[in-house]
Amino acid sequence: MTHEARSDVTGGGEDVVALLMRQHGDIRNLFDEVERAEGEERRAAFRRLVQLLAVHETAEEEVVHPSARRAFDGGEQVVEDRLREERDAKERLSRLDDMDPAEPDFLPALRELRTEVMRHARAEERYEFAQLRRRSDPRRLAAMAKAVKAAEAMAPTRPHPGVETAPKNIMAGPVAAVMDRARDTIRKAMGDRG
Amino acid sequence: MTFNPLEQRGIPLDRQLRNWRELDVAPIDPDRCDPYTRCRIITMNGIEIEAVLFSHQMARHCPDQDVRRQLARTRYIEQQQQKVVNWLLPGVSSVLETTIAYEQVAVDLTAWVARMEPDPYLKQAYQFGVLEDFDHLYRYANLYEMIEHRKAEEIVQGLTEVMPGRPTPYHHRDAVDNVRDPYDRDRADPLSKLHALTIMSAEQQTMNFYMNVGPQYMEPIARRLYQEIGLVEEEHVTHYESLVDPGETWWEQLVNHEYNECYLYYSFMEQEPDPRVKAIWELHLGMELEHLRIACDLMRRHDGRDPEQVVAPRLPDVLTFEPNKEYLRGLLDTQIDLTTLGAGYVREAHERFEAMQRTVNSDGGPPSELVMEQHQHLYGRDYRVESAGRPA
Repeated sequence: MTHEARSDVTGGGEDVVALLMRQHGDIRNLFDEVERAEGEERRAAFRRLVQLLAVHETAEEEVVHPSARRAFDGGEQVVEDRLREERDAKERLSRLDDMDPAEPDFLPALRELRTEVMRHARAEERYEFAQLRRRSDPRRLAAMAKAVKAAEAMAPTRPHPGVETAPKNIMAGPVAAVMDRARDTIRKAMGDRG
Repeated sequence: MTFNPLEQRGIPLDRQLRNWRELDVAPIDPDRCDPYTRCRIITMNGIEIEAVLFSHQMARHCPDQDVRRQLARTRYIEQQQQKVVNWLLPGVSSVLETTIAYEQVAVDLTAWVARMEPDPYLKQAYQFGVLEDFDHLYRYANLYEMIEHRKAEEIVQGLTEVMPGRPTPYHHRDAVDNVRDPYDRDRADPLSKLHALTIMSAEQQTMNFYMNVGPQYMEPIARRLYQEIGLVEEEHVTHYESLVDPGETWWEQLVNHEYNECYLYYSFMEQEPDPRVKAIWELHLGMELEHLRIACDLMRRHDGRDPEQVVAPRLPDVLTFEPNKEYLRGLLDTQIDLTTLGAGYVREAHERFEAMQRTVNSDGGPPSELVMEQHQHLYGRDYRVESAGRPA
């Protein structure tokens, strides 16, 4: 397994857009892992995917979309489009979460989700993030990155030995519960910032 | 192979025009396609774009209104072909993903052509160039991991290795040293003409692509890397286009273009595993056969020569996308330290080369170095895919 990237720079100050774009890559990597793994390994990789998706989407809803709404002309509509995509993806994710990763319908359903998530991610990058970066104070973008990072810490993208099988895993549980906990963490981080 | 495009009947031109629905092709799935399907799409897009640009240039130099009308008719169809081919690429891919696929094309297409080229001087030109494309793939792969957290392995799928080639900073030569000597149109093997046209077209499209997408990046390192590699693509287009005999008449060049399109669509039809894409290669071959027939008629009428004199009597062996790992490693072992001097190749850093290097690097190092430094800083390593089964 390769090293985790140090998360402090990509050509200058880290901002929330660079961070979320890299999470889009992490999410796609996890889709690959789930598709390639079998049995218990697939189950574990899928748990990590659920966690990262939940944390990522929650962070966007709590931190990024509210800023984007106000940051540029048409921001409201752009965010509405993204929220609709996120609602659809969440429903699909919940249905997938109820399935057994070993059953034959699982992979086709996973691939549909993957396609939907990738479209959504690319639309965010092109229509929302680009505008957000253009219209926002770099300090604000850096502060938003901090809040997203606090939430990200809850979702390991790589296997941590023992965690997946531990019944008391803090991030285990249905999608909605994972999102609730991510929301609490983000709000706390935003609150701490003042 | 006995396929002689001069003797085949194509689809009549007035039946080639497609409606909006027929142009609206469904894109390939970037996560599940054969990487070489994507390579064939990128190649044919470059070929169609060259066909269109060449036809425009020819029309601008042509006083005969009837010929200009004929060129316009064929060219409109070629534009539709370009739309269908390039629109097979999916909108969900990021620009950097497509860039890495472009470099995979440059590596495996040029390597195959270098292997098959019968003329030693031309072969050397391809061997020289491919080691530079190979290094571009490596630099963009490192940028991709930095910006998108994705590994280029997911794009090239183990078919092409990703590791250092001739270092990109050394690609910046004095422009005069990029001009090669041309082949002789009367003596060159017909296959050599097809090779030169194919690689020139592919590099030209890569140049166009980087020229246009580079500034769409927000990340300073990405913007700078596209500028630097974009300038190397300018050198490559100069390098390859200068191989073509400038004494070829417009009519002869037109026939060569159309013949090459037949050759490539036929080649790709033969090896395409995706049935939907294969059907497009087959349809376009049928169209190109007619474009070739029209070009041959123009040549007979206006050049007073038979096209049979300038093209092969039958198609050469199919041009194939396949792994070239061992071949490339052999070139890395023997040609990594070459540069050009005049129309030849040397190992020493000569005066003109040094002067060019001093000027472009006079206020900070090249972006291709910077991207590696930043990657090293972030990950504590560089990104490579070494899959040939022996250490580089």
